[in-house]
Amino acid sequence: MPHLSPQFPTMFKYVKLVYQYVVNHFLTCLLVPTMAMVLVQAIQLGPEAIYIQFDFTKTLCSSFLIFFVTILYFMSRPRGVYLVDYACYKPPVSCRVPFSTFMEHSRIILKSEPKSVEFQMRILERSGLGEETCLPPAIHCIPPSPNMESARKEAEMVIFSVMDTLFKKTGVTPRDIDILIVNCSLFSPTPSLSAMVVNKYRMRSNIKSFNLSGMGCSAGLISIDLARDLLQVYPKSIAVVVSTEIITPNYYRGKERSMLLPNCLFRMGGVAILLSNRWWADQWRAKYKLLHVVRTHKGSDDKSYNCVFETDDAEGKTGISLSKDLMAIAGEALKSNITTIGPLVLPPSEQLLFLISFIGRKVFNTRLKPYIPDFKQAFEHFCIHAGGRAVIDELQKNLQLSAEHVEPSRMTLHRFGNTSSSSLWYELSYIEAKGRMKKGDRIWQIAFGSGFKCNSAVWKCNKTIKTPSDGPWSDCIDKYPVHIPEVVKL
Amino acid sequence: MELISILLYGLPLFFQLYLIWKIIDRKRHQYCYVLDYECHKPTDDRKLSTRFSGEVIRRNKHLGLNEYKFLLKAIVSSGIGEQTYAPRMVFHGREACPTYEDGIEEMDEFFHDTIDKILKRNKISPSEIDVLVVNISMLACVPSLSSRLINYYKMREDIKVYNITGMGCSASVISINILQNIFKNEKNKVALMVTSESLSPNWYTGNNRSMILANCLFRSGGCAVLLTNKLAWKDKAILKLKQLVRVHHGANDEAYDSCVQKEDDQGNIGFHLDKTLPKAATRALVDNLKQIAPLILPVRELLRFAIVSFVKKMNWGSTKGEPKPVINFKTGVDHICLHTGGKAVIDGVGASLNLSEYDLEPARMTLHRFGNTSACSLWYVLGYMEAKKRLKRGDKVLMISFGAGFKCNSCLWEVLRDLGDENVWKDCIDTYPPNTLVNPFVEKFGWLHGEDPDTFYVPDDYVIP
Repeated sequence: MPHLSPQFPTMFKYVKLVYQYVVNHFLTCLLVPTMAMVLVQAIQLGPEAIYIQFDFTKTLCSSFLIFFVTILYFMSRPRGVYLVDYACYKPPVSCRVPFSTFMEHSRIILKSEPKSVEFQMRILERSGLGEETCLPPAIHCIPPSPNMESARKEAEMVIFSVMDTLFKKTGVTPRDIDILIVNCSLFSPTPSLSAMVVNKYRMRSNIKSFNLSGMGCSAGLISIDLARDLLQVYPKSIAVVVSTEIITPNYYRGKERSMLLPNCLFRMGGVAILLSNRWWADQWRAKYKLLHVVRTHKGSDDKSYNCVFETDDAEGKTGISLSKDLMAIAGEALKSNITTIGPLVLPPSEQLLFLISFIGRKVFNTRLKPYIPDFKQAFEHFCIHAGGRAVIDELQKNLQLSAEHVEPSRMTLHRFGNTSSSSLWYELSYIEAKGRMKKGDRIWQIAFGSGFKCNSAVWKCNKTIKTPSDGPWSDCIDKYPVHIPEVVKL
Repeated sequence: MELISILLYGLPLFFQLYLIWKIIDRKRHQYCYVLDYECHKPTDDRKLSTRFSGEVIRRNKHLGLNEYKFLLKAIVSSGIGEQTYAPRMVFHGREACPTYEDGIEEMDEFFHDTIDKILKRNKISPSEIDVLVVNISMLACVPSLSSRLINYYKMREDIKVYNITGMGCSASVISINILQNIFKNEKNKVALMVTSESLSPNWYTGNNRSMILANCLFRSGGCAVLLTNKLAWKDKAILKLKQLVRVHHGANDEAYDSCVQKEDDQGNIGFHLDKTLPKAATRALVDNLKQIAPLILPVRELLRFAIVSFVKKMNWGSTKGEPKPVINFKTGVDHICLHTGGKAVIDGVGASLNLSEYDLEPARMTLHRFGNTSACSLWYVLGYMEAKKRLKRGDKVLMISFGAGFKCNSCLWEVLRDLGDENVWKDCIDTYPPNTLVNPFVEKFGWLHGEDPDTFYVPDDYVIP
């Protein structure tokens, strides 16, 4: 009947709300009537009868028991890992690479290959990058001079800067640090970058240092996973995780198209993060608490493995080639990751719906569209690795997110480019700079990496964060969000 | 009301017992066991004979007579024999311009040899592996070598994987540290640790003396180790980890700069080994031993050492002429696996710990037969001890390794059953120890020392005998 149709969707919405409330608060719905019954019984009996039951020894024993049980319970739980603070790298203005600079350099370096220059221009137009992204000084030279010395200089520039900022922000001294993890995918000198940090800051000789590399843009979350494992074992410790990507040695100087793509997208960036398991000292000031880290590795599938590959081109120049199937593979990897993380984070209402839809598809009709759980119910903020415009579009579609949810990722890509493993932290910084982070908010960080990996981390905001006065976005947050056109005409 | 009483006392008690059981159960599953290990023996066509070494040196046009003399001295005193292995690209004459593929092929050869064997021998399928740690110091590629392994062996999606690089010759113990921590957090895990060094992309082609030294010492090798914390597999295990101590002297500039990878004046990348290296190594070693000694030695030895040191310090009695008191590690440790960094390293550590020739024999023989295989050398030394049937149940083995930075890492293993597999030493264990360790280079190239730099000239068609 016509006059029912406008009411129907509203009714459905209310039914859905009631269903969600009942399923999510199932235990409360069960417990409240039971407690009420017990209370009514107790009142009926009268206070005298109850008082007889509890004499002195019984009360003492029971309170002792409860105390003991509480202690044991807290002993058996895993230690909470808190993110006290973090510092993102803000490159100096002299390292800026506006489109005009990039194209001018391309034209000179690839003089003999006009088609490659044309290709790079087309990529840049559609990349979603802005005019303020930065490349290291060695790459500004014509031709670029990527030797080990300049790569080390870039590493020092980025890493020492973020470490200094982190120490200033948190008040921690280098000698307090117990665990140090550095991850940089493509530059791995000996002694390692972690040894370089220990040397510069004169850290203790019993520091547990680790240097991870080759793990791609998801290496930041892998380092967080390692830090979490270590913080479970070593009591009263703090860990510093440094995530960066050193671009200098990896500037591709050949003409293979699939290898020129990284040149257009990867930019300078880095982050240093302070994690702690000292709840008595740091819980009051920590920004976030780590809830889950879920790692998925699709390396056993050949297509996934080969989609991001470093190899020599026909002329013997080394570069990283990105396959055309990257988006599809990213989608697949994300689906696998969601299957593991879903049960950990989704409210029971969504899980039940997913289960019903899953059973329905398996038993009755395989042509039914799979139910995609509504992750907006589980998280307030999403940090999607700013791998490229296409990655963000793909994930927005897959997870059915709104433009506001993916705004941090898009704006980070615009302002800083693809800074590899540190991009998630620039995005988090954006959310804080916009004043959107409230206590209790849950954040989902998703990163992809070569191999092909999809790693997620779930954080919970520990205290409402005031708009910071410093940080990488402090001088430009008012300009954002900007509208990023599909194609920027160069 | 009885019911309420029962509930009031029964439930918390029950819960308490459950929590206690949970804590105890977690502690039981925290030990790190080694199930098996397999060292890599490259094919015979990769053996580096004296003659061929001379050929390789001559091929490098940047070297002159002074460099030849220096190299001869270095090689003769290195303790390395004629049967060590070099990367394949050297045999193809491409050491001046190795390709990216050379590095990958070298690793593939090692992976497919050792990992296939170890998984087959232990009847473990790749999908049973929960944790993978790969440490290959000088090769960082995309996707990482750990991803390469996952792809080749079709390992599981939820595998925990770490790829460690840049940590030098002590990376093996660092990987064990990671595994030890993972085992403390999670029950019933099987781990595969793969350790090696990539030589192909790192062959030095310049003429800086401190950098050519690396070419003389580092050789191809690798090891795959299966570890677990599954209690059910305790009977199959061969070693149990008791202690692990890591010391990092990076804060000291001299230690940090003692071995650095950098470019020489001509822009060739090489590994610079500074003259301060032995001093940095000794300091790191002493620091490490100071920390591990109280954890592994019996109390009476510690007391004895404390008293003797005190007496010496106070200068009581006529102790002036006597040597410094040395703590006797043999009271708590039965075998010592030393990193085979070079003859000087082995001699230095032997002197510091007052070890006998019998104790140093495994390390010396490994250096002679396989050269300095970097992080995996410890496992070759262990293999020698096993092949010589020295490892008996209850024995304690101390592994000591050094690494760039400067680090000294050590760990103590307990042997769980008598071991006697000849493993990688199978075809040559009977010839060890050899009667003489005199280097064949002396015989072949000793005449170089008599040459005059101004008149020295090697004709292009000169064939090394």
